[in-house]
Parts: sequence; structure tokens; C-alpha cells
Amino acid sequence: MSTSSGKGEYLLLVRGADWHKGLSPEQLQNVMSQFRDWLDRLTEQGKIKGAQPLEREGRVVSGRHGRIVADGPFAESKEAIGGYFLLQVKDLDEATAIAQSCPTLEYGSSIEVRPVAELCPLMVSMAKAGEQVELAAAIA
Amino acid sequence: MSTPSSKNDYMLLFRGNTWDKDLSQEQVQKVVADWAAWFERLTVEGRAIGGHPLENHGKIVSGKKGRTVADGPFAESKEAIGGYFYLQVADLQEAIEIAKQCPGLDYGVTVEVRPVAEMCTVRQRAIENATRTRELAAAGA
Repeated sequence: MSTSSGKGEYLLLVRGADWHKGLSPEQLQNVMSQFRDWLDRLTEQGKIKGAQPLEREGRVVSGRHGRIVADGPFAESKEAIGGYFLLQVKDLDEATAIAQSCPTLEYGSSIEVRPVAELCPLMVSMAKAGEQVELAAAIA
Repeated sequence: MSTPSSKNDYMLLFRGNTWDKDLSQEQVQKVVADWAAWFERLTVEGRAIGGHPLENHGKIVSGKKGRTVADGPFAESKEAIGGYFYLQVADLQEAIEIAKQCPGLDYGVTVEVRPVAEMCTVRQRAIENATRTRELAAAGA
């Protein structure tokens, strides 16, 4: 479902967009330069396919035909997504280790590590259900 | 996926992965097929440059040095992110119009539309502070 196969890809979602509140300008600069070094190093190793922060404003679309468009989500929330990294690495353990080394974790953000699916999980379970139906028919 | 300028980049985050719970096999198949066709169309139009469903398992990392690592699950939740699209379009309004076309909306999926930032606002503030500090020092010297 994309321009890349998805194999070996992991999406890291950084949650908690307000981790930097309460830091002095000096501390902030420190973290940002640590972060920049960390990201540059991973990029040089060819592990970063994409990495960007997301703007604080956004919209949430819902309802039939998306008729409800609300402002949100709200950045104060610990769950709000502040940015993402798309990694190309060996396995979930490596992706998790990279997440653990992110300098912003010190100050309260959390990182969700998700393997990118090559096939939509629903299609996989539908295919499995289809196989079972065929098998049952063959046995009958 | 990282382009030189992110000014027209938007992420669509699809939330809710229990939308198929009360649907028939046939209905689910239709939605999944419609969804794939929708993505295909957007890619051909050059408006979607990336996108993937996400596996329902994974980890949540937190705490100093990421010492706390919890397992998902990410299933069974209206907030769980099931996938994303990466768009390049004229403005937020166009991204919203695209979001409204999501075939899952009729069954409870919600779509979060997020502009990709040109530069991390925190980093921007750090840079501004550094500049101001330098200017003050220069003025004082």
C-alpha cells in the first residue's frame, strides 16, 4: 500500500509535545544539539527514511463522509504526537533500541514503535478466513 | 519522505482499528478495496507520496534513557493509529478534503490531519535564544 514495500520499516511516533516546558534556554539548546547529533549519526548510518516534527495545530475529521471537522488534537496532551521517525532497520529490537536512545525521553516524551505492515493486517486475516472456507468446502 | 521544504507536507493519521468489528466479511472487503484504490488514486495524482498500514503490535518507550519499554497491544482502541498517509498538497484545506474521502469514516475511523513542521518549533526557539544571547554579548562587549 505504498511506494516502498515496507519491509524492515518502523514508524516511531513521539508523544507528548510539551516536554520542553520548564527547561531553561541553556538546557533546551543542550537537548537540541544532542538531538541533532543523534539524528545526524543515524542518518549517516542510513537508518532514517524520514524524520519530521508535526505542527501543533491540526484537525480531526470524523463522521459519515467526514462531515465533522474539529480543531485538534491538543498539544498539551501527553498523547499528542509531536513528530515521527521512519526507520529502516533490522528488526523491532533495533528500532526499540533506537527509540530508547532518543535524547528527548529524559524530559517526558514517550515513543511508540510500530512495525510498518507490508500488507494491511485486515487483508491478511481476510485471506486466512478465505483459506479456511476453501478448506472446509474441500473436506465436505 | 523528507523533502527539502516541508511547507506543503501533511500527515494523515488513521485512528481506530476496531471499525471492522460489526461488519460482514463482504463489507470489510469492500472498505479495504476502496481504501487501497483511494491511496492508489492519490499516488497517481502525486498528492500522496507515502503511506502504510501499521502492524497491531509494537512497543512504547518512555522514562530516562528509555528504560521503560512496554508492549502494545494497539488493537481494540478508538485512538490506536492503524496507518498513515503522507501528502503533498496546496494547503490544509486540501488535506482536509482528502481526509474526508477516507472509506473508514462511515464505520468510526477518525482521521487526524497534521501539517508537517518546517523546523521543530522547539529547535527554532533554541536557535532564536542562541542568536539573542550572541547579540546581547556583542552589544555588551
